Amino acid sequence: MSETVLQIEHLTMQFGGVVAVYDLSMEIRQGEIIALIGPNGAGKTTAFNCVTGVYEPTNGQVIFQGETIARSHPYGKMRKIYAGSEADAYLNGSVRLSPDRITRLGIARTFQNIRLFSGMTVFENVLTAMHLRRRSNFFTAALHLNRAEEKAMQQRAAELLEVVGLTDVSGELATSLPYGKQRLLEIARALATEPKLLLLDEPAAGMNPQETEELSAFICRIKEHFNLSIFVIEHHMNLVMAISDRIYVIDFGKLIAEGTPAEIQNNPAVIEAYLGGGEE
Amino acid sequence: MAAKGKDGREKNRRGAVITWVIIALIYVGVFVAEQLLPPTSMLFTVLKKGATYALVAVSMNLLNGFTGIFSLGQAGFMLIGAYVFAIFTIPVEVRGSVYQYFDGGLVQFTLPVPVAMVLSGLAAAFFAFLIGLPVLRLKSDYLAIATLGFAEIIRAIFQWNQLGPVTNGSNMLRLFPKFNDFNITDAQGNVIVYLSTLVPFLITGLCIGLIVLLLHSGYGRALRAIRDDEIAAEAMGINLAHHKQLAFCISSFFAGVGGAMLAMYQTTVQAKSFTTAMTYEILLIVVIGGIGSVTGSVLSSFLFVACSEWWLRFLDEQQVIGDFQVPLLRNGFRLVVFSIIIMVVVLFFRRGIMGTRELPDLFRPRRKEAALK
Repeated sequence: MSETVLQIEHLTMQFGGVVAVYDLSMEIRQGEIIALIGPNGAGKTTAFNCVTGVYEPTNGQVIFQGETIARSHPYGKMRKIYAGSEADAYLNGSVRLSPDRITRLGIARTFQNIRLFSGMTVFENVLTAMHLRRRSNFFTAALHLNRAEEKAMQQRAAELLEVVGLTDVSGELATSLPYGKQRLLEIARALATEPKLLLLDEPAAGMNPQETEELSAFICRIKEHFNLSIFVIEHHMNLVMAISDRIYVIDFGKLIAEGTPAEIQNNPAVIEAYLGGGEE
Repeated sequence: MAAKGKDGREKNRRGAVITWVIIALIYVGVFVAEQLLPPTSMLFTVLKKGATYALVAVSMNLLNGFTGIFSLGQAGFMLIGAYVFAIFTIPVEVRGSVYQYFDGGLVQFTLPVPVAMVLSGLAAAFFAFLIGLPVLRLKSDYLAIATLGFAEIIRAIFQWNQLGPVTNGSNMLRLFPKFNDFNITDAQGNVIVYLSTLVPFLITGLCIGLIVLLLHSGYGRALRAIRDDEIAAEAMGINLAHHKQLAFCISSFFAGVGGAMLAMYQTTVQAKSFTTAMTYEILLIVVIGGIGSVTGSVLSSFLFVACSEWWLRFLDEQQVIGDFQVPLLRNGFRLVVFSIIIMVVVLFFRRGIMGTRELPDLFRPRRKEAALK
């Protein structure tokens, strides 16, 4: 079995009285495509936000390539409820890396509601995402003394746009692109940060069936090309079933099933969550 | 076929060439005008003050327009710059008369003008660093209020009598070098070459050039990314706190240099003149010029200064055309007209004179033309 890239352990995210994610544990191994599915409001994006450092989880920890990127536990009387028998295992000391640190470690993401840099061209959007890998310091960069690095960055940005097929629109304003292309650009921008793990938040939202099919091929292609592991949230079952190695299903924040696409398709709990139970 | 660079953008060579030509012409024009026209002409007052304000406006635009940080502390940083410059450049022999209530003051040496200017920028940047640590965590209007408060506090502190040996308390600092000292004179004190307007232009040009270079570098892109979408910028690995702090310090550095220039322009420095109204004037310049356009800020500072100091002056005096005395014209009427002009500009140029365009963009071949080629 290949090495574990991302490990989520007992992740709980609570907003006041609402428990958005409850005791979620999962594992992503090198080279896998893992899907997280569930009905609307099941807590999928919240789980993503905990992994990328946007939220500080209420409880649990996230380990990326052996490094703890988030670890948290509640204080006071809540602690007993959450900690249970494993209280001493990891509940000492909390870790919270900011989103930019996590990205630097090698986790890149896209957003459900597209968040491109609206004032910039397609090309600049990709270029901006390479800023974190710069080696030049502020003064050489600001005085344009890092010509070689800048040139290498531009070349790589052009290559990335070539891979996602946006070369012909690279000079356009990012927000002027059609929806599907904006999604591709988000992926290209995420790839520009040189990730090892790519998180895709509903990459097929708003795409027609043909575009979705192209997207599945595309995701498999970039996985091979950039040697990635991919963690995807998606509603399009065709896409999920076509590309995933394993699928996790959550409903109301709780993990209700995990397994290969075939297992999930026949899992009664999953069918109930999606279609609703019988009317006894 | 329009030349497409590696970056996919059509290289706007024509725009770049025309821009350089225009800039060169402006400098030559300033130099020639200064030699030919009488030095007391209102034109030079406007040009000197305009150059000063242009630098401060661009520095403010760097924050408000390019990084999306709404700061109103510009007058405070200008004050620091002006004071540092004045304190370190007053000749030792006249310090006794300037600091007459403080026994000649504490500082008993004089720095060369360029060193003092850099120092005034650094001092402003240092204060920006300190104030930025707590304040930059705030967002939009809260940040604006906090920086505004900082400017007010600084103004009060510099008038504090206890600091008198350094700041001369609430008395003015004077007798330091001014723009007119840049003129080259012969032994008898007659001016051979007038440089008193060209030098501020050169300083402003150099500083704005540095800012433009920064904006076009990777750091500039990161700043614009923060403006466009903070969450996405952070997800792309851009350290928000670090980059905001950087922008804040750089902006303040140039505001400080601008303050030193203002000191040279005014020939005296007094803390009470660096009011909030001064920040608003600069904010107005930025908004009228276009938030996110360096060219716009520069253009509108000259227009602003020309309108407020020169072109509208006649409105303050009684005018008689033939036997008809024009009504309404009296002291203060200029400000009414000025306000109306500003309202009209803001109403009809919603995004400022330039929007987010820069000078080279104006000479970009039109889209259709480019497509036909």
